[in-house]
Amino acid sequence: MSEIITTPTGQARRSVRQMRNPVMIRELRSHMRGRRAFSVLTVYLVLMSSFILLVYLAYSTAVSNPFGPSSRQAGKAVFAAVLAAQLFLVIFIGPAFTAAAITGEKERRTYDLLRTTLLSARSLVSGKLFSALSYVLLLILVSIPFQSIAFLLGGIAPIEIILSQILIILSALTFALIGLFFSITMRSTIAASVITFGTAIFLTIGTPVLVGLVASLFGTFFFGVSSPPWPFEGLLIYLGLALAATNLPATLIVSDFFLVEQDALFFYTELIDGHSVLLFSPWILFLALYTLLAILLYWASVRQVRKVARR
Amino acid sequence: MNHIIEIQSLSKKYGHLTALDDLNLSIETGAVVGFIGPNGAGKTTTIRVLTTLLQPSSGEARVKGYSVVSEPRKVRSLIGYMPDFFGVYEEMKVWEYLDFFAACYDIPDRSRNGLIDDLLTLVDLRHKKDVYVDSLSRGMQQRLCLARTLAHDPEVLILDEPASGLDPRARIEIRELLRELKNMGKTIFFSSHILSEVADICTSIAVLEAGKLVAYGNMDEMKRKFTPYRLIQVRVIDQLNKLYESLVGVPQVANLKQAPEVDIPSETLQFEFSGNDHQLSRLLNELVEANHPIISFNEVTRDLEDVFLQVTKGIVS
Repeated sequence: MSEIITTPTGQARRSVRQMRNPVMIRELRSHMRGRRAFSVLTVYLVLMSSFILLVYLAYSTAVSNPFGPSSRQAGKAVFAAVLAAQLFLVIFIGPAFTAAAITGEKERRTYDLLRTTLLSARSLVSGKLFSALSYVLLLILVSIPFQSIAFLLGGIAPIEIILSQILIILSALTFALIGLFFSITMRSTIAASVITFGTAIFLTIGTPVLVGLVASLFGTFFFGVSSPPWPFEGLLIYLGLALAATNLPATLIVSDFFLVEQDALFFYTELIDGHSVLLFSPWILFLALYTLLAILLYWASVRQVRKVARR
Repeated sequence: MNHIIEIQSLSKKYGHLTALDDLNLSIETGAVVGFIGPNGAGKTTTIRVLTTLLQPSSGEARVKGYSVVSEPRKVRSLIGYMPDFFGVYEEMKVWEYLDFFAACYDIPDRSRNGLIDDLLTLVDLRHKKDVYVDSLSRGMQQRLCLARTLAHDPEVLILDEPASGLDPRARIEIRELLRELKNMGKTIFFSSHILSEVADICTSIAVLEAGKLVAYGNMDEMKRKFTPYRLIQVRVIDQLNKLYESLVGVPQVANLKQAPEVDIPSETLQFEFSGNDHQLSRLLNELVEANHPIISFNEVTRDLEDVFLQVTKGIVS
């Protein structure tokens, strides 16, 4: 049997091996086996359709009223509803898969078996990551056709959809990596899940609340009820945009504001206290920050798997 | 001598607790070594260091010259590790389980189908190829686990309590499999607390206690070394006291006992004899010439348990 052991060399072989990552194949086979995956997908689509239908009906009823909203607004509402569902998937469902990825192996006592094979730490981490992400991405992809309703109603530009999907997919990767990192460092799935959801909630809800609190206290303390003088106002706007770029919902909302209200994909110039200030759309910084965070988390996860236990 | 496993001055400390204390052990290629010792002696710690899962505090362990610390990948390609607990993946068929691990050992797709059939035939599980792993009996799972360790045709098998938790039939099956692997030329290093099984298939034994190696060597040598006397039982008709008096003065005879002092049949005397074969034969002659009505005269076979009890002191680290 010894002749069948091979050590692949070269970039091409490495790429083929990555595509045929045994961990990914095993996980996908396990996720997609039986009726579970099909049932989850069906339930998700039924719920999503019902939700979109409700939003559409509510708005179309209101549109018939001469003083009600326009069909463009109805389109925007559908778009926002689909995005909200995608946000939920990215922030909670993806990390739920990855938080159990390695702790599950530890609890089943299969982790040591894997670590004594020739499977590299990178293959293990990427196999777990992409198998978890693939299911979430499938759910995201199947929800994209719902956006076509928004197109029918108008009010949504293709660039809005493209930008939002790029941000959603990058966030799916980063949030999944947060779950995976804690799954590697923790011993139990419960502990990994708690700390992962804690971090996800903090990044999504905690930071805006914290920023709001600090801003109101800071503003009242230094400037009272009046707006701060130049250059503090400019600095605060930059700080606000930078903070928005740390948060997915805030980035989506503010970037959409840039696009729709200012017709600016990247930046626009605002006049503040007679000074023209160049304001950048937060999605640029968000992409940089979340890409960096994803790279760091991936690197730390691989390093952690590679580390030989001391206890 | 060609040593495939070499452990030199290996120590492992967990805080103040010393799990392994200056362990030195060399295992020849093709040997079957039973690693025995009381619970907490450090057997699993040694195995985890050898399988690259645990960092030693000091010392060195090498497999075929490769360091388990600095060259773990080389070591992993040479060893097949079977832990004391069979980790089961849910919703995975037997062939998928082997296919997955074969892939983890970089075995190409085209070779895997044939390999899986060969491995399943070896462990007599071919008829279970499409069955889910979690539905197999404990014994079958253990055999499957052994098949998994062989997926990359390793030179060394490191098995942690391979027969633990198995029923007698499954134990026999595992023992037979190990015997077959021994015949295939594999070096087998396995821990066990079932001494009779270790004695059955091992060429050597290593006894560990409180993190220290207290004995290591060839089975027969160990028996001779640690049981320096023979245990003899003589059964006579009615005249036990007369036999007792005849044996009391013999210089090589000690520790004369009879039922119920020891668990032997009535009308039987048991004693320790420190002489050689000639002296034992002469003693038997003398007893017969003295008209003792002897109906049996036999040497009690000493087993690994006697060696184990002799070399260990019941200390747990």
